[in-house]
Amino acid sequence: MKWTPSLLASVMCVGGASMPIVAHAKIYMSVEQAQKAIFGNVAMENKPVVISAQVQEMMRDASSVSHPFASNRIWKTGKGDWFIVDEVVGKHEMITYAIGINADGSIKQIDVLEYRESYGAEVAEPSWKDQFIGKTAASTLKLNKDIKNVSGATLSAKHMTDGVKRVMVMYDQVLKNLH
Amino acid sequence: MYTLDLQPKGTFEIEQKLDLNTGQGGGGRYNLLKSKTGLEYGDTNDFQLTGYLNAYSVNASKNYTNCEDGSPSCTSGWGVPGSKAGLNSYSKTSIDGVSLEGIWRLTNPVVDPVGVGIYVEGTVGSYANALETRLLLQSNFLDDRLIVAANIVGEIEKYKWNDEPMEESIIDVLLGVSYRFAPKWFAGVEGRIHNDFSGYSLKNRTQLANFIGPNIHYASKDWWMTAAWRYQIGGQCWAPGDADCMGGKVADSHGANHFIVQVGFPI
Repeated sequence: MKWTPSLLASVMCVGGASMPIVAHAKIYMSVEQAQKAIFGNVAMENKPVVISAQVQEMMRDASSVSHPFASNRIWKTGKGDWFIVDEVVGKHEMITYAIGINADGSIKQIDVLEYRESYGAEVAEPSWKDQFIGKTAASTLKLNKDIKNVSGATLSAKHMTDGVKRVMVMYDQVLKNLH
Repeated sequence: MYTLDLQPKGTFEIEQKLDLNTGQGGGGRYNLLKSKTGLEYGDTNDFQLTGYLNAYSVNASKNYTNCEDGSPSCTSGWGVPGSKAGLNSYSKTSIDGVSLEGIWRLTNPVVDPVGVGIYVEGTVGSYANALETRLLLQSNFLDDRLIVAANIVGEIEKYKWNDEPMEESIIDVLLGVSYRFAPKWFAGVEGRIHNDFSGYSLKNRTQLANFIGPNIHYASKDWWMTAAWRYQIGGQCWAPGDADCMGGKVADSHGANHFIVQVGFPI
């Protein structure tokens, strides 16, 4: 995978803000930048949660993701929107991404924060990740079902899709009931 | 062994592989080093082509005990002409020839229960010509961190270092398991069941050799490396190849130990 300027340019257009992108495009944006990219200049409060063993099992069963979910990277806006950072396994390293969930439970946007593999960075492009906009916890959220694959990035696409699925299960079981 | 992790469409990679078979049961010395330098290209996301430049280096000395003239020891093995058997030692290093390899991925283990692929490689060389085919099978588990793979190999070869070329065929089964135990690192075990036949018809088995050993793989964004050690557990030989067995192991192109190192650089 060549780290081309066109890929950097598409990321820099998100939110209209300038981004300190590392020259080889390994790090797309920080958590703060992703929060602004998705929700604008809205104040957020860090809301770590404790996830019961039962909910963790539900998340694993629904998504097949076995990598532990770190439940301390969750933020909430005053309107009831949620911003969550998660990690899934890439081919050799981890993929760090963020999900913005509207107060009505629909996905507002997802963004890739860090991508460290040789290939497969197409999952950071709007043409792929915009498929998640509007999806809810009731959505299938399965690659090659309601989420199209991007050939050449199958592993990354599958793991990110599964990651989004488990986050939405966690939202449905834990976050939406919090006030 | 091969997995179904192919070059994405339109991308290139340079690869270098070194393959050392060393130590034969007759004492003496036998080292066979093969080198493959390759340029790999993803024609589609499910088909890749690789062109290789091949070289070898054989170094043998009094490594056989089953000698045609009845001597207690002689110099022999893969790559050593029969006319050199009486020498105390024989060595040769040379560019051998070229190979062209294609791999088709029919199903993808990332999204299908079993990944299936077809591998074909043709080789033309001053020492040997070969046509190798493989059925590649792979299943992934635990977020694709655990890989279980098998290669079923069928190959025909013509060896040209003697006055009279020798024709052989091979049926091998390779099995491997690899687990990503840390970011960028995989480790595992692989085994090989090797069968040689004289001629192309697979009727006359001359060798059976079994190997097992560990492997390790490291990869970052800019390069990767795989290393394996396969120890020959044991083997058997049958006529007309029975001279290739000593001490319960198969000699010929094999040794007690087989070391493989491969590096790749996406470009």
